[in-house]
Amino acid sequence: MAINTEKLGIVLQNFVTATSDVQGAALVTPDGLPLAASLPGGMDEERVSAMSAAMLSLGERIGQELARGGVDRIYVEGDKGYGILTSCGEDAVLLVLADQKAKQGVLMLEIKRAVAEIKLILN
Amino acid sequence: MEIMRLVVTGPVGAGKSTFIRSVSEIAVVDTDRQATDETSLIKQKTTVAFDFGRLAFGPEMALHLYGTPGQSRFDFMWDILIQKAHAYILLVAAHRPREFVDARRIRAFMRQRSQVPMIIGLTHMDSPNAWDIENTAIALGYLNADKCPPIITVNPNEAASVAQAIITLVQHSMQNCLV
Ligand SMILES: Nc1nc2c(ncn2[C@@H]2O[C@H](COP(=O)(O)OP(=O)(O)OP(=O)(O)O)[C@@H](O)[C@H]2O)c(=O)[nH]1
Ligand SMILES: [Mg+2]
Repeated sequence: MAINTEKLGIVLQNFVTATSDVQGAALVTPDGLPLAASLPGGMDEERVSAMSAAMLSLGERIGQELARGGVDRIYVEGDKGYGILTSCGEDAVLLVLADQKAKQGVLMLEIKRAVAEIKLILN
Repeated sequence: MEIMRLVVTGPVGAGKSTFIRSVSEIAVVDTDRQATDETSLIKQKTTVAFDFGRLAFGPEMALHLYGTPGQSRFDFMWDILIQKAHAYILLVAAHRPREFVDARRIRAFMRQRSQVPMIIGLTHMDSPNAWDIENTAIALGYLNADKCPPIITVNPNEAASVAQAIITLVQHSMQNCLV
Protein backbone atom coordinates (compact mmCIF):
# COMPACT_ATOMS: atom_id res chain seq x y z
CA MET A 1 0.00 0.00 0.00
CA ALA A 2 1.74 3.15 -1.18
CA ILE A 3 0.35 6.11 0.68
CA ASN A 4 1.20 9.54 -0.61
CA THR A 5 2.55 10.92 2.64
CA GLU A 6 3.85 14.06 1.00
CA LYS A 7 0.37 15.02 -0.12
CA LEU A 8 -1.04 14.16 3.29
CA GLY A 9 1.54 16.41 4.91
CA ILE A 10 0.50 19.30 2.69
CA VAL A 11 -3.19 18.79 3.44
CA LEU A 12 -2.50 18.76 7.17
CA GLN A 13 -0.31 21.80 7.02
CA ASN A 14 -2.90 23.72 5.05
CA PHE A 15 -5.60 22.68 7.47
CA VAL A 16 -3.59 23.87 10.46
CA THR A 17 -2.66 27.22 8.96
CA ALA A 18 -6.04 27.95 7.36
CA THR A 19 -8.30 27.03 10.28
CA SER A 20 -8.45 29.60 13.02
CA ASP A 21 -7.65 28.41 16.54
CA VAL A 22 -6.23 25.10 15.31
CA GLN A 23 -2.76 24.56 16.73
CA GLY A 24 -1.79 21.24 15.25
CA ALA A 25 -2.88 18.04 13.59
CA ALA A 26 -1.56 14.56 13.07
CA LEU A 27 -2.62 11.62 10.96
CA VAL A 28 -1.69 8.27 12.45
CA THR A 29 -2.20 4.57 11.77
CA PRO A 30 -4.51 2.61 14.09
CA ASP A 31 -1.43 0.93 15.58
CA GLY A 32 0.06 4.27 16.49
CA LEU A 33 2.57 5.25 13.83
CA PRO A 34 2.70 8.74 12.35
CA LEU A 35 1.64 9.09 8.69
CA ALA A 36 1.86 12.87 8.60
CA ALA A 37 1.94 15.59 11.22
CA SER A 38 1.96 19.32 11.71
CA LEU A 39 2.29 19.71 15.45
CA PRO A 40 3.20 22.56 17.80
CA GLY A 41 6.92 22.69 18.57
CA GLY A 42 8.01 20.47 21.43
CA MET A 43 5.37 17.84 20.82
CA ASP A 44 6.83 14.46 19.95
CA GLU A 45 5.25 13.00 16.83
CA GLU A 46 5.83 9.37 17.85
CA ARG A 47 4.34 9.82 21.27
CA VAL A 48 1.34 11.78 20.03
CA SER A 49 0.67 9.06 17.47
CA ALA A 50 0.84 6.23 19.99
CA MET A 51 -1.44 8.11 22.38
CA SER A 52 -3.95 8.81 19.65
CA ALA A 53 -4.12 5.14 18.72
CA ALA A 54 -4.49 4.05 22.35
CA MET A 55 -7.24 6.57 22.97
CA LEU A 56 -9.17 5.68 19.83
CA SER A 57 -8.97 1.94 20.50
CA LEU A 58 -10.20 2.41 24.05
CA GLY A 59 -12.92 4.78 22.91
CA GLU A 60 -14.09 2.25 20.35
CA ARG A 61 -14.10 -0.45 22.98
CA ILE A 62 -16.10 1.73 25.34
CA GLY A 63 -18.55 2.59 22.56
CA GLN A 64 -19.03 -1.11 21.96
CA GLU A 65 -19.24 -2.13 25.61
CA LEU A 66 -21.73 0.60 26.47
CA ALA A 67 -23.77 -0.01 23.31
CA ARG A 68 -23.01 3.38 21.76
CA GLY A 69 -22.24 1.86 18.38
CA GLY A 70 -19.34 2.78 16.15
CA VAL A 71 -17.27 5.71 17.34
CA ASP A 72 -16.97 8.70 15.00
CA ARG A 73 -15.09 11.01 17.29
CA ILE A 74 -13.37 11.29 20.63
CA TYR A 75 -13.26 14.55 22.34
CA VAL A 76 -10.95 15.78 25.08
CA GLU A 77 -11.76 19.17 26.52
CA GLY A 78 -9.20 20.70 28.83
CA ASP A 79 -8.98 24.21 30.25
CA LYS A 80 -6.31 25.00 27.66
CA GLY A 81 -8.11 23.66 24.64
CA TYR A 82 -9.41 20.68 22.73
CA GLY A 83 -8.01 17.43 21.39
CA ILE A 84 -10.29 15.78 18.86
CA LEU A 85 -9.77 12.37 17.34
CA THR A 86 -11.68 11.46 14.23
CA SER A 87 -11.56 8.13 12.46
CA CYS A 88 -10.58 8.40 8.78
CA GLY A 89 -11.64 4.94 7.71
CA GLU A 90 -9.77 1.70 8.34
CA ASP A 91 -6.26 2.97 7.89
CA ALA A 92 -5.96 6.27 9.67
CA VAL A 93 -6.99 8.47 12.56
CA LEU A 94 -6.90 12.26 12.57
CA LEU A 95 -5.92 14.15 15.70
CA VAL A 96 -6.69 17.86 15.83
CA LEU A 97 -5.48 20.19 18.58
CA ALA A 98 -7.32 23.48 19.01
CA ASP A 99 -7.13 26.22 21.61
CA GLN A 100 -9.96 27.08 23.97
CA LYS A 101 -11.19 29.97 21.80
CA ALA A 102 -12.18 27.58 19.02
CA LYS A 103 -15.85 27.55 18.08
CA GLN A 104 -16.89 23.93 18.24
CA GLY A 105 -19.39 23.99 15.38
CA VAL A 106 -16.96 25.59 12.97
CA LEU A 107 -14.19 23.29 14.08
CA MET A 108 -16.31 20.19 13.46
CA LEU A 109 -17.20 21.37 9.98
CA GLU A 110 -13.58 22.06 9.14
CA ILE A 111 -12.54 18.67 10.45
CA LYS A 112 -15.21 16.99 8.38
CA ARG A 113 -13.86 18.70 5.27
CA ALA A 114 -10.30 17.75 6.10
CA VAL A 115 -11.30 14.13 6.70
CA ALA A 116 -13.02 13.95 3.32
CA GLU A 117 -9.90 15.29 1.65
CA ILE A 118 -7.64 12.86 3.52
CA LYS A 119 -9.85 9.90 2.65
CA LEU A 120 -9.51 10.76 -1.04
CA ILE A 121 -5.74 10.58 -0.78
CA LEU A 122 -5.78 7.38 1.25
CA ASN A 123 -7.97 5.50 -1.22
CA MET B 1 -13.98 -9.85 47.63
CA GLU B 2 -10.39 -8.79 47.44
CA ILE B 3 -8.99 -7.66 44.14
CA MET B 4 -5.42 -8.25 43.11
CA ARG B 5 -4.19 -6.43 40.04
CA LEU B 6 -1.58 -8.31 38.03
CA VAL B 7 0.23 -6.80 35.06
CA VAL B 8 1.52 -8.91 32.20
CA THR B 9 4.29 -7.15 30.37
CA GLY B 10 7.13 -7.94 27.95
CA PRO B 11 8.30 -7.28 24.40
CA VAL B 12 6.20 -7.59 21.25
CA GLY B 13 4.99 -11.09 20.57
CA ALA B 14 6.06 -12.52 23.93
CA GLY B 15 2.47 -13.72 24.35
CA LYS B 16 0.91 -11.20 26.76
CA SER B 17 -2.49 -10.98 25.06
CA THR B 18 -2.57 -14.74 24.49
CA PHE B 19 -1.69 -15.35 28.15
CA ILE B 20 -4.66 -13.33 29.37
CA ARG B 21 -7.04 -14.74 26.77
CA SER B 22 -6.19 -18.28 27.90
CA VAL B 23 -7.41 -17.87 31.47
CA SER B 24 -9.85 -14.99 31.64
CA GLU B 25 -13.34 -15.87 32.77
CA ILE B 26 -14.83 -12.85 31.08
CA ALA B 27 -14.62 -11.92 27.42
CA VAL B 28 -11.23 -10.22 27.26
CA VAL B 29 -11.16 -6.52 26.55
CA ASP B 30 -8.49 -6.27 23.93
CA THR B 31 -7.24 -3.31 21.98
CA ASP B 32 -5.35 -5.18 19.28
CA ARG B 33 -4.97 -3.40 15.97
CA GLN B 34 -3.52 -4.35 12.62
CA ALA B 35 0.27 -4.03 12.85
CA THR B 36 1.90 -1.90 10.18
CA ASP B 37 5.50 -1.89 11.44
CA GLU B 38 8.14 -4.67 11.90
CA THR B 39 5.67 -6.41 14.19
CA SER B 40 3.72 -7.52 11.14
CA LEU B 41 6.60 -9.88 10.33
CA ILE B 42 5.82 -11.84 13.51
CA LYS B 43 2.06 -11.50 13.70
CA GLN B 44 -0.87 -9.55 12.31
CA LYS B 45 -2.14 -7.68 15.32
CA THR B 46 -0.61 -5.77 18.17
CA THR B 47 -1.91 -4.29 21.43
CA VAL B 48 -2.20 -0.49 21.43
CA ALA B 49 -3.69 0.26 24.87
CA PHE B 50 -4.16 -2.79 27.09
CA ASP B 51 -5.76 -6.20 27.50
CA PHE B 52 -8.03 -6.83 30.43
CA GLY B 53 -9.23 -10.13 31.81
CA ARG B 54 -10.54 -11.44 35.12
CA LEU B 55 -10.09 -14.64 37.01
CA ALA B 56 -11.40 -15.89 40.39
CA PHE B 57 -8.66 -17.04 42.73
CA GLY B 58 -10.31 -19.01 45.47
CA PRO B 59 -13.59 -17.79 46.99
CA GLU B 60 -12.12 -14.60 48.43
CA MET B 61 -10.03 -13.11 45.67
CA ALA B 62 -10.49 -11.89 42.12
CA LEU B 63 -7.49 -11.39 39.91
CA HIS B 64 -7.58 -8.54 37.44
CA LEU B 65 -5.14 -9.14 34.63
CA TYR B 66 -3.81 -6.24 32.61
CA GLY B 67 -1.65 -6.85 29.54
CA THR B 68 0.55 -4.00 28.35
CA PRO B 69 1.48 -3.13 24.77
CA GLY B 70 4.94 -4.41 23.80
CA GLN B 71 6.19 -1.51 21.73
CA SER B 72 8.06 1.22 23.55
CA ARG B 73 6.10 3.98 21.83
CA PHE B 74 3.31 2.95 24.18
CA ASP B 75 5.43 3.35 27.29
CA PHE B 76 2.87 5.84 28.70
CA MET B 77 0.56 2.81 28.99
CA TRP B 78 3.28 0.85 30.83
CA ASP B 79 3.43 3.75 33.25
CA ILE B 80 -0.34 3.93 33.79
CA LEU B 81 -0.73 0.19 34.26
CA ILE B 82 2.21 -0.41 36.59
CA GLN B 83 1.14 2.35 38.98
CA LYS B 84 -1.70 0.28 40.39
CA ALA B 85 -0.26 -3.19 39.99
CA HIS B 86 0.20 -5.47 43.00
CA ALA B 87 2.64 -7.68 41.10
CA TYR B 88 3.72 -8.33 37.54
CA ILE B 89 5.12 -10.95 35.23
CA LEU B 90 7.62 -10.10 32.52
CA LEU B 91 7.12 -12.44 29.57
CA VAL B 92 10.13 -13.01 27.35
CA ALA B 93 10.17 -15.03 24.13
CA ALA B 94 13.11 -17.36 24.80
CA HIS B 95 13.68 -18.05 21.10
CA ARG B 96 14.21 -14.42 20.07
CA PRO B 97 17.40 -13.40 21.92
CA ARG B 98 17.55 -10.19 19.95
CA GLU B 99 14.58 -9.00 21.97
CA PHE B 100 16.18 -9.62 25.34
CA VAL B 101 17.40 -6.05 25.26
CA ASP B 102 13.77 -4.89 24.96
CA ALA B 103 12.83 -7.02 27.95
CA ARG B 104 15.64 -5.43 29.95
CA ARG B 105 14.43 -1.98 28.96
CA ILE B 106 10.89 -2.76 30.11
CA ARG B 107 12.23 -4.21 33.36
CA ALA B 108 14.25 -1.04 34.02
CA PHE B 109 11.24 1.14 33.22
CA MET B 110 9.03 -0.79 35.64
CA ARG B 111 11.64 -0.92 38.37
CA GLN B 112 11.98 2.84 38.25
CA ARG B 113 8.28 3.25 38.93
CA SER B 114 7.31 0.35 41.09
CA GLN B 115 8.86 -1.95 43.67
CA VAL B 116 6.08 -4.54 43.59
CA PRO B 117 7.09 -8.23 43.34
CA MET B 118 7.75 -9.62 39.88
CA ILE B 119 8.61 -12.86 38.17
CA ILE B 120 9.88 -13.66 34.69
CA GLY B 121 8.06 -16.07 32.39
CA LEU B 122 9.92 -17.53 29.45
CA THR B 123 7.64 -18.30 26.51
CA HIS B 124 8.18 -20.12 23.22
CA MET B 125 10.16 -22.79 25.06
CA ASP B 126 8.72 -25.32 22.59
CA SER B 127 10.73 -23.70 19.82
CA PRO B 128 13.96 -25.49 18.88
CA ASN B 129 15.80 -22.16 19.09
CA ALA B 130 14.72 -21.42 22.66
CA TRP B 131 17.42 -20.51 25.15
CA ASP B 132 17.39 -22.30 28.49
CA ILE B 133 16.55 -20.57 31.78
CA GLU B 134 20.13 -20.24 32.95
CA ASN B 135 21.48 -18.57 29.84
CA THR B 136 18.44 -16.37 29.48
CA ALA B 137 18.83 -15.16 33.06
CA ILE B 138 22.41 -14.13 32.32
CA ALA B 139 21.39 -12.48 29.06
CA LEU B 140 18.72 -10.55 30.95
CA GLY B 141 21.41 -9.20 33.23
CA TYR B 142 20.98 -11.48 36.25
CA LEU B 143 24.57 -12.54 36.78
CA ASN B 144 24.03 -13.21 40.45
CA ALA B 145 21.51 -15.97 41.19
CA ASP B 146 20.70 -14.46 44.60
CA LYS B 147 19.39 -11.27 43.09
CA CYS B 148 17.45 -12.96 40.33
CA PRO B 149 13.64 -12.93 40.47
CA PRO B 150 11.91 -16.30 40.04
CA ILE B 151 12.10 -17.44 36.43
CA ILE B 152 9.57 -19.92 35.13
CA THR B 153 8.60 -21.26 31.74
CA VAL B 154 5.08 -20.80 30.46
CA ASN B 155 3.12 -21.51 27.30
CA PRO B 156 0.55 -18.72 26.93
CA ASN B 157 -1.55 -20.92 24.66
CA GLU B 158 -2.17 -23.47 27.41
CA ALA B 159 -4.58 -22.53 30.17
CA ALA B 160 -3.03 -24.94 32.70
CA SER B 161 0.43 -23.54 32.10
CA VAL B 162 -0.81 -19.96 32.45
CA ALA B 163 -2.71 -20.86 35.64
CA GLN B 164 0.51 -22.31 37.09
CA ALA B 165 2.38 -19.11 36.22
CA ILE B 166 -0.29 -17.02 37.91
CA ILE B 167 -0.17 -19.16 41.06
CA THR B 168 3.60 -18.70 41.18
CA LEU B 169 3.21 -14.96 40.78
CA VAL B 170 0.53 -14.65 43.47
CA GLN B 171 2.52 -16.83 45.89
CA HIS B 172 5.68 -14.89 45.23
CA SER B 173 3.89 -11.63 45.86
CA MET B 174 2.36 -12.90 49.12
CA GLN B 175 5.73 -14.13 50.38
CA ASN B 176 7.14 -10.71 49.66
CA CYS B 177 4.37 -9.06 51.61
CA LEU B 178 5.15 -11.13 54.71
CA VAL B 179 8.84 -10.27 54.95
N1 LIG C 1 4.26 -22.23 20.15
C1 LIG C 1 4.15 -21.21 21.00
N2 LIG C 1 3.57 -20.09 20.58
C2 LIG C 1 3.48 -19.06 21.46
C3 LIG C 1 4.00 -19.16 22.77
N3 LIG C 1 3.79 -17.98 23.39
C4 LIG C 1 3.16 -17.18 22.52
N4 LIG C 1 2.98 -17.83 21.34
C5 LIG C 1 2.36 -17.27 20.13
O1 LIG C 1 2.97 -16.03 19.88
C6 LIG C 1 2.00 -15.05 19.53
C7 LIG C 1 1.97 -13.98 20.60
O2 LIG C 1 1.00 -13.04 20.28
P1 LIG C 1 0.35 -12.04 21.35
O3 LIG C 1 -0.21 -12.78 22.50
O4 LIG C 1 -0.54 -11.15 20.57
O5 LIG C 1 1.64 -11.26 21.82
P2 LIG C 1 1.72 -9.95 22.70
O6 LIG C 1 2.81 -10.18 23.67
O7 LIG C 1 0.40 -9.59 23.23
O8 LIG C 1 2.24 -8.88 21.62
P3 LIG C 1 2.01 -7.28 21.51
O9 LIG C 1 0.65 -6.95 22.00
O10 LIG C 1 2.17 -6.99 20.04
O11 LIG C 1 3.12 -6.66 22.30
C8 LIG C 1 0.68 -15.78 19.41
O12 LIG C 1 0.51 -16.19 18.09
C9 LIG C 1 0.88 -16.98 20.33
O13 LIG C 1 0.10 -18.09 19.94
C10 LIG C 1 4.62 -20.40 23.18
O14 LIG C 1 5.10 -20.58 24.31
N5 LIG C 1 4.67 -21.38 22.24
MG1 LIG D 1 -0.74 -7.95 23.03
